[in-house]
Amino acid sequence: MKGPERGPQPRPAYLVEAVLLVSASPIQSSDLRSATGLSEQEMEEALAGLKGRYAPEASGIVLRQVAAGYLLSTNPACSGAVERFRQEARPTPLSGAAHEVLACALYLGPLTRAAISRVRGVNSDAVVRSLIERGLLIEVGSHHDAPGSPALLGVSDEFLAATGASSRRDFPPVDSLVTQEELARVRERLVPSTAPPDAAGEPS
Amino acid sequence: MTAEPLGRALSDFTVELDVYSGPYEWLLVLILKEELEIFEVPLRELVESYLLARQPDAANGLERDTDFAGSAAALILLKSRTLSPEIDADAENLEDEPLSPQELTERLTEYLKIRRAAEHLRECFASNAGHYPSAHTLPPRQGALVVEPDRLALAARQAFSRHIEPPVRHLGPITVTLQQLAGIIRKALAGGPISYESLTGDMDRMNRAVAFAAALSLAQEGSLTLIQAEPLGPLILEPS
Repeated sequence: MKGPERGPQPRPAYLVEAVLLVSASPIQSSDLRSATGLSEQEMEEALAGLKGRYAPEASGIVLRQVAAGYLLSTNPACSGAVERFRQEARPTPLSGAAHEVLACALYLGPLTRAAISRVRGVNSDAVVRSLIERGLLIEVGSHHDAPGSPALLGVSDEFLAATGASSRRDFPPVDSLVTQEELARVRERLVPSTAPPDAAGEPS
Repeated sequence: MTAEPLGRALSDFTVELDVYSGPYEWLLVLILKEELEIFEVPLRELVESYLLARQPDAANGLERDTDFAGSAAALILLKSRTLSPEIDADAENLEDEPLSPQELTERLTEYLKIRRAAEHLRECFASNAGHYPSAHTLPPRQGALVVEPDRLALAARQAFSRHIEPPVRHLGPITVTLQQLAGIIRKALAGGPISYESLTGDMDRMNRAVAFAAALSLAQEGSLTLIQAEPLGPLILEPS
């Protein structure tokens, strides 16, 4: 039996495009090179060409650089049609509590459930469980020094993909998200003034 | 906290909130199963939604109002308990010593940063919503799976950590033994066959449950025969 006809060797961009098309999760550049057999330069040129071809303003499919890899996804502008076709609604937005837990894991993690609850001031176990089930939070190890070696939690690649980040370094430093005025207001309300009393009022 | 099961009067009442959109009854279920944080649910908006959807002239209008008032009151109680400091001495994470102003400031500062970071994340999620990746999923390759022990241990911990001990505070102390109930059954059977209903008619739930277990035990040892003509029909205890 004769096999399928093979034409001329496809262009590098075609190979990368084909591999990206069948992946539901981001593919690292090294894995792309391994699958396609392309050199680093060929890979860079192929990806540069695909970025232009799959730019948001040029196609219903976009090439995203997320979670330290590359991922072909539908253009959000077309999401309505996709959701109607798949007969499913967009996932329910996360609650404020869920965002706080993810912020803890992103900026303070890896950390335990108890540490998350301590930072937030309320028990966060239910939120953590929900985020693990949604794949946004994962266990990345265990705290061996603590009783019972509780699991350490961190954010997942799915979290990075969902937030459009390539890595944790893409997020702004947490200190830059709070103004000095806000911090000063907290201190003013809680810490009594530590200014030295007037010298004239000091006992002799 | 427990809540009385709702009637079906509110089955057609749906709510539209930021944190949830759908049937009201499901909202209650999600809250009681702790899949939705009660303090994320704006109760005022919930009540306003009901007032807009209220049907005072409906045949079951009073029943709907009663069901909603009862469930809303339960939600308020649950929310207040969740937000109030824990007073149970056995509760975990109870801090005996009050925080100094400096420690409190540090904690609030840290929380403020996390709060701002959470707001930033909300924007990130919103601006990246609507991306759908390829629906193609790779089938697992037989024989090519490598399981690292560390990852297996992690997976096991993850799986078992989801088990939650069921609350048993609502259960009172068990004050009756299987032997005592077996004695009562033997005495009743001296007068001939007797139905389980009439045997346990004046017993409480606990005694009924233990009586059933005692009847099964006696049937197993051959002291009596259990007869039930049809599924869920009357259960008759007959001396062997």
